[in-house]
Amino acid sequence: MTAGPAISVRNLTKDFRIGLKGLKLRAVDDLTLAVPRGQVFGLLGPNGCGKSTTLKIVLGLVTPTSGEISILGLPSATSAARARTGFLPEAPYFHKFLSGRELVRYCAHLSGVPSGKVEAAVAEALELAGMTEAAGRLVGTYSKGMLQRIGLAQAIVHDPELVILDEPTAGVDPVGAAAIGRIIESMRARGKTVVLCSHLLGQVEQVCDRVAIMDKGRLVLEGAVADVLERRDRHTVTIEALTPAALAAAETALAAHGARLGAVTHPRRSLEELFRELVTGSRDA
Amino acid sequence: MNAAFARCLWIARLTFLEAIRQRFFAFLFLLGAVLVLSSGAVRAFDFGHSELKFIADFGFGGLFLFGSILGVVMTAQLFFAEIDNRTALTLLAKPLGRGEFLVGKFLGTWAVLGVFVAVLAALLAVMMGARAAELAELAVERRLPPPECDLLGLAVAALLQWLRLGVVVALVLTVAAAARTFLFAVVVGALAVLAGQLQWLSQELLLKPAEAGLGRAVLWVLTHLLPNLQQFNLGDVLVLAPTQVPAGTLPWVFASGLAYIAAFLACAAFLFRRREI
Repeated sequence: MTAGPAISVRNLTKDFRIGLKGLKLRAVDDLTLAVPRGQVFGLLGPNGCGKSTTLKIVLGLVTPTSGEISILGLPSATSAARARTGFLPEAPYFHKFLSGRELVRYCAHLSGVPSGKVEAAVAEALELAGMTEAAGRLVGTYSKGMLQRIGLAQAIVHDPELVILDEPTAGVDPVGAAAIGRIIESMRARGKTVVLCSHLLGQVEQVCDRVAIMDKGRLVLEGAVADVLERRDRHTVTIEALTPAALAAAETALAAHGARLGAVTHPRRSLEELFRELVTGSRDA
Repeated sequence: MNAAFARCLWIARLTFLEAIRQRFFAFLFLLGAVLVLSSGAVRAFDFGHSELKFIADFGFGGLFLFGSILGVVMTAQLFFAEIDNRTALTLLAKPLGRGEFLVGKFLGTWAVLGVFVAVLAALLAVMMGARAAELAELAVERRLPPPECDLLGLAVAALLQWLRLGVVVALVLTVAAAARTFLFAVVVGALAVLAGQLQWLSQELLLKPAEAGLGRAVLWVLTHLLPNLQQFNLGDVLVLAPTQVPAGTLPWVFASGLAYIAAFLACAAFLFRRREI
């Protein structure tokens, strides 16, 4: 049997009515999108471009004005579809009087994990999210990074096939963001489909297989990360021990073949790479 | 256990835990307890009968007043806390039906009010039992019949108050499911409870026996959209003169209360069905 996409969105439009006059604000405009199974899919775009609204519609939290959405072949907004989906909302807020373990256990029960398997599922989710040590603390005492990670644990405790993460790294330091990136990669390794909404483009580039970019409610680009980033009309050659004479000779040789040397620069590492290289022990757990 | 019901119970459990942490609950709980305990300070000099009635009225009055305030404010607060703090976003993204969410909220809030009613009714029972014993001794000395004080009747009256508060919670949940703000839900919910308290007036004034046909049917529907909350106030009769309760009254009041709860919850679920979270 051929498995269809994890998420299929066809001609989705969402209008919000605002003000007393009921003025129409179009948040999502005729969006058509397919998220393949078993991949990490990045949904990108500036604030207010309709990403979160799209995700909420996919989860049945917001009703679309028009369009069709299915999750894992099931009609979106049904309990059966949500049972196979995990969701971490943007800036998650949980009941502060619960401990991390109680929260994840509670979510396991709500997500339909059989009673006899709840404790094992909770322990596994906490372990995967790196929250085992802090699981006994009250959620109200958690840092932003820990809130995101306990949010991840509650999203994956029922071992869903599809995990939707809305800004999982918002407000998290680079070390914490890298940890979340590793969790996402481990989910992909386990065959899960992950939809990732993030403004950390560097991380999206690292962990995503495919990306879609939205602007003003419309889809402006969609494709495999390698394909959309590659500039096929340019090439990069890394040369060691380059001397001025060698550079001049190379320019001459290139000109003889109709090619031109565009720029000569030194390779740079990203600030994030440098930061992670220097700050190794400061985990927020 | 049915999976849907199990999910309702988990929501109820969390709602209960959240509610009993509220200072507002503790404040009204203490205020109600103080009111019931202070009823013992009242003295009348007719060898018991009026005095016990006063204590019963005082106690049930406290239950009614503070229970109603708690029912309205706490229900709206617990509902909007989930919406405004966006915890509902996490919960409703799980395989949890919106109706299940509302039923869970209802059960959790109703359970908290159950604790409130049980404790205040127990205090009232202690106050009335002690005073009734004292008055019985005085009555024997004066060769008068001892005053009647049926503690089982008090338990039934407390159950009725709890049922009445259940109707209030379901009614406020219906308002909250359609309301955009906490304040709107509290104000409209309180007005609806007040209207329910005065409902017997409209039923008696509007439904005159002489009227018949379509007009009467429309009036009947209009006067029964809101429950008659006065019908639950049988406390003093049940405690002081249990034999005077007309046959069939209690089953009717219980059935009517449960029917209103079911109807309001169904209405709330319908209104909440397409609400954008």
